[in-house]
Amino acid sequence: MSGTACQCQEIECAEVEIDYTLLDKIIRDDYGGNREAMIMMMQAIQRVYRFLPEAAVKYLSQVIEVPLTKIYEVATFYASFSLEPKGKYILSVCTGTACHLRGSGGMVEHISKRMGIAPGKTTADMKLTLETVNCVGACAVAPVVVVDEKYYPKADIATLNDFMDRLDAE
Amino acid sequence: MKVLNIVLNGKAVTAKMGQTILELAREHNVFIPTLCDSPALEAAAMCRLCTVQVIEGKWPKFVTACNFPLRRDAEVVTDSPEVRHGRKLIIELLMARCPTSPELQRLAVDYGCDLERFAPLNDDCVVCGLCTRACEAVTGRTLSLAGRGVAIHVDTAFQKASEYCIGCGACVQICPVNKIAMEDVDGERRIILHGKIASRVKLPQCTSCGKHFGPVIDLQQVMERMGEHKIPPPNASVCPECSRRNLAIKLGKRYFEQYGVFEDEEGQANAG
Repeated sequence: MSGTACQCQEIECAEVEIDYTLLDKIIRDDYGGNREAMIMMMQAIQRVYRFLPEAAVKYLSQVIEVPLTKIYEVATFYASFSLEPKGKYILSVCTGTACHLRGSGGMVEHISKRMGIAPGKTTADMKLTLETVNCVGACAVAPVVVVDEKYYPKADIATLNDFMDRLDAE
Repeated sequence: MKVLNIVLNGKAVTAKMGQTILELAREHNVFIPTLCDSPALEAAAMCRLCTVQVIEGKWPKFVTACNFPLRRDAEVVTDSPEVRHGRKLIIELLMARCPTSPELQRLAVDYGCDLERFAPLNDDCVVCGLCTRACEAVTGRTLSLAGRGVAIHVDTAFQKASEYCIGCGACVQICPVNKIAMEDVDGERRIILHGKIASRVKLPQCTSCGKHFGPVIDLQQVMERMGEHKIPPPNASVCPECSRRNLAIKLGKRYFEQYGVFEDEEGQANAG
């Protein structure tokens, strides 16, 4: 099935080459092929491809002998897993209670407007994915913006503009 | 085993330790409406229709009867104004999802539901999870509940027709709102979910009459789940109808040929 074209409509995504030796290294060497570590394996695979490619998920299902539907269930349950390709940078705005009260809603709107993408979507040039997360557990420094696992505490429009200017300059 | 003293709707009864309220109620012919319960599957408390009131100790609380195990002496109320009030809301919400279910329509009349209250979604599926639990019990490889919260829905992996379905039809048979369809066309069995083909299973062709039949279920997956690996897959080449007919011819020949009954029979007697 790995030869079929991607079916997502919003973004044109290039076919992903799956490196099965790398998958084997993650699944068998790093986690001993133990199905209890399935979520960790999925996270490791996502770190490599920036999303969970269908072929990689199928391979994982075969190796750890967990039905594909179960992995799909887990992948769709957690917002941190994506089955669609992501941009080069992933910008997550926390919309938890504390961040919401400190104006994260306006920040999401600002990025949406400037980059022309709705939350959860990726720009056409595959540079940026905008996400909203429910709580990153750093309410004391709200509002929080996370770019590629780096946290920006007490973020504001200026911080975001800075980031987007750098992105445009790239 | 410890016996519990339960007051069920004002009547003193005894229950076994760990027995669920639903089991106890059924034992005593007390009706509790359910959509997602099946005696063959583990309770999942998805439809919430079986909500009852339990008083264990001081405070009354609402619990789902299907998966609430009784562990202490308690009082259970299955039909009071409070319980009916809560259940009415649940029925209204379910009716908004699936207005065509006769069972829900009956309940809606019984509970005097306001059907204008929630805008109809016409989603058809009530997300009871029976099909996914049945699928899991059989092979666990075709249907699952994808998404989370309000976005939860029954789906196949990657929204594509499953390669692993054995075409047993358990999901079709168990659906309480009859929203999964199955049809045998063009030599394949199709399971249709939300109007989309969820799986295609090739049906074998009878070598005797040429009709498609089956599916011949490959028990390999089932045996693997049971910890058995060495069962050869069944290999039927003749449909059950021809198999029976061929056997009848064979037996007939053996016992009645001497009387000249089979003189001009053109059939090849291959018993399947």
